[in-house]
Amino acid sequence: MLWLCLAVVAGCSGDLEPEPICAPTLVGVCGTLRFRGAIPDSTDNVFIAAYATFPQTCNDLINNRQPFIPSSVPYTDSVAPYSVELSPGTYEWVVAVWKKVGNLTLSPADTALLRVAGYYRAFIDTMSPGQVTVPTGAYAGDIDFFVDFDNLRPATDFVTCT
Amino acid sequence: MYVIGNRGWGLGIGVLLLLGSEAQAQGVLRGTVRDTQGVPVRGASVVVPGTTLSARTGLDGRYRVANVPAGLVRVHAAAIGYARVDTTVAIPLGDSTTVEFTLSFAPLSLPPVDVISGKVPHFGDRPATSVTQVTERDLDRRAVSTVDEAIDHAPGVQFVNGQVNLRGSTGYVQGLNSRVLMTVDGVPMNQGDRGGINWDLLAVDDIESVEILKGAGSSLYGSAAFGGVVNLTTRDVPSGVHARVRLTGGMYADPPHAIWRFRDRAGLHGSADFSASYGNEVLGGRISAGDRHSEGYREQDQQDHLHFAGKGRWQLAPNTRVDLSGSWAVDRYDVPLSWCSRGECDDRGQVFQPFKVDTTELGARTDSRKGYLAAQVRQTVSPKLVWVARGSWLRTHFVDVRRSTTEFGVGNRFGAEARVEAHPEPSRTVVVGAEATFADVDSDIFGTHSQSEFAAYGQSDQRVGPLRVSGGARLDFMAVDGGSLTAFVSPRVGLTLPTDRREGDGGLLRASVGRGFRSPTMAERFVRTVALGFQIVPNPTLRPETAWSFEIGHISAPLLRFMRLDAALFWTEARDLIEPQVLLIPPDTVVIQLQNVVRARIAGVDASVIAAPIPERLIATLGYTFLATRRSLAGDSTHGPLAFRPRHLLTLGADYRLGVFGVGADVRFASRPERIELEGFVDERRVPVRVLDLRGSWRHGPVEIRVLAANVLNYIYNLVPETLAPVRTITVTGVWSH
Repeated sequence: MLWLCLAVVAGCSGDLEPEPICAPTLVGVCGTLRFRGAIPDSTDNVFIAAYATFPQTCNDLINNRQPFIPSSVPYTDSVAPYSVELSPGTYEWVVAVWKKVGNLTLSPADTALLRVAGYYRAFIDTMSPGQVTVPTGAYAGDIDFFVDFDNLRPATDFVTCT
Repeated sequence: MYVIGNRGWGLGIGVLLLLGSEAQAQGVLRGTVRDTQGVPVRGASVVVPGTTLSARTGLDGRYRVANVPAGLVRVHAAAIGYARVDTTVAIPLGDSTTVEFTLSFAPLSLPPVDVISGKVPHFGDRPATSVTQVTERDLDRRAVSTVDEAIDHAPGVQFVNGQVNLRGSTGYVQGLNSRVLMTVDGVPMNQGDRGGINWDLLAVDDIESVEILKGAGSSLYGSAAFGGVVNLTTRDVPSGVHARVRLTGGMYADPPHAIWRFRDRAGLHGSADFSASYGNEVLGGRISAGDRHSEGYREQDQQDHLHFAGKGRWQLAPNTRVDLSGSWAVDRYDVPLSWCSRGECDDRGQVFQPFKVDTTELGARTDSRKGYLAAQVRQTVSPKLVWVARGSWLRTHFVDVRRSTTEFGVGNRFGAEARVEAHPEPSRTVVVGAEATFADVDSDIFGTHSQSEFAAYGQSDQRVGPLRVSGGARLDFMAVDGGSLTAFVSPRVGLTLPTDRREGDGGLLRASVGRGFRSPTMAERFVRTVALGFQIVPNPTLRPETAWSFEIGHISAPLLRFMRLDAALFWTEARDLIEPQVLLIPPDTVVIQLQNVVRARIAGVDASVIAAPIPERLIATLGYTFLATRRSLAGDSTHGPLAFRPRHLLTLGADYRLGVFGVGADVRFASRPERIELEGFVDERRVPVRVLDLRGSWRHGPVEIRVLAANVLNYIYNLVPETLAPVRTITVTGVWSH
């Protein structure tokens, strides 16, 4: 009986379970990141941010991000699912941001620590950012794109910083 | 140590020259071994200590020992689960003497060690290294269907997707090697080309017992015994006519979550095995055949297996026995290479679908055929001398059918061995032998190659007061494709010391140190294929792996009259371990190659407890292995654990028998491996193993019904990346024996 009790206790949890890319209750965007390139030694983390309108300046880049505190995405595997809670609406830029080791100040100066590692692209034009619409009370799924550690681009490639 | 080995050669040859001088003053010892209820005890050992003379009882409990020296002779009988009985018998000159043994049930008694130490001279004592035995009774009560299932619950043993690990020896490299040697009745059976083990070479119904020798066994067994030896003892041929029918049927559980469902009904499996034998005192033969079909527990997991096996014995003379055996197995199994990750199938919005396969691999299957023939002659020249000669041929053939390509391989392994076992003095034993192996492969992924191995070995045991000291060495020469010979010396020394006066059943300290090696298989050297989407390239310059292994252990005397503890500390320092490495070939080509890149340490504790609080009714067992591994790459100062080695491995078991009914349970726990190979290129998802098996049985006369619910909680886990381990499987087995 002792063995049986131990077994039942031990066997109740911890096994593999379904892992939806997009949780049914999610309101936001979700998908898969595929990583390529060598991970820089100075990597602190990788996170996903979204912009309702494409940012024009460094200030836009810092101040208009959603969510307010983006959560990290595991980047050591070749593939990682992600999901980000966002308010319903249309987003012009869903971007993976690479951050090097250092403290953020939530000011334009943060762009020195940040690089654009990849972004969701429109299906018909693989160079342009793809527009994503988060429906009310639901999620936009299959927002998949690449993160290229060998091609981390500074913010100034996309916005103007003064 | 070398001196002892060399003396062994000299002694063996010297004793050989004295043949026949004692043959006149001998008699025959015969009789029956029964338990206290009068039931014949099968597989009991009857031994004349201090000599080479021994016999095992047949199905009817009968034994016969020839060439017993006339006069007063000490004899003992022992069987697993029974207390050993010693007696002294007067053997008349040229006549036979009948001695009936009655063994009383004693679940804590130490089992006799014979088969695994068939190459090891001994005095009926435990050897200096750790040995685990899986008896016919264990096989029966656990109601397993395959040989690997039978071994998987033994302490310190873990199967990782078909590859056996003894104290973390092998790890996992799909189908390309094994650091454990499998022998069948003492004959090596690792594949000639890949060095792996075909666990389906024999049906579990053909197996009488399994002995597992842990730690480096190269000093007697050579290359593949780097991490230990698993010996399968097939059923002997008893006198009279006997038959056995075994039928199984069962089903696999559905996936526990609806989103993982992949079919509309439960998968089924079933098998039928039949065997028949006839024997008298001179001749005996046994044939068996069986078929197994499984729909599998995953998508594309169907398996069909057909096997035939045979065994014959011929008592050519009272002191000479010839054994022949062989088997042939045909398999066709679907290959779920890896589970479906997102986008590789209809993933239903899941990151992974463990029951489904990548659609690019739909239709993949393997057709496999394998078989062996073995012959052995054993002659007891005198009470002090036995010689054994054997020859064997193992053939394996596979065709991997994939959507993109078809791969095949045909491998042969021819072996021959001659051995002399001598007891020049009652306190000394000597074994000397020579072995030759030739293996070849013809394959579109391994190429056409051959490998030759020649070896000589010797070992001597000496009693010094209460101490038993053993020492020996093996010298191996190897050549690939007829090239230059490479030599390896594998010495080993060990000692045992009784810790109390209960002979044969008391406590025992043991210690040993030995060197092991493993030559790269031809598959490892020459493989050229595609796996995980990467090209695998050959490496003909691979060097052999080497290791020094140390062990100190203790078997306790019975504690509190109902339990016994066996614990060992072990430590292995290995060099040049072979592991797959990812190489970047500029500008952007990534390939995988097997390389000697690793120095490694495997240390830990291996402990087992058997308890019989209600003798003859309740038996409980516990096995625990703690593994601390460390791996360091050449030219790199960083360290990490070896891949696929769980730090903790725990097995618990309990069986209760009441009259004709029996119930039991097994629990298996393995912690999550800290590291896997090819990290970053595969799904690294993995969880601990927590599996509960339940079983029940009913026996009446020649009929026995068993029910096994394996993984009854339907715990979903994997042991290697992207490969689901078996789900809950219900099996009902019916056995009729005549």
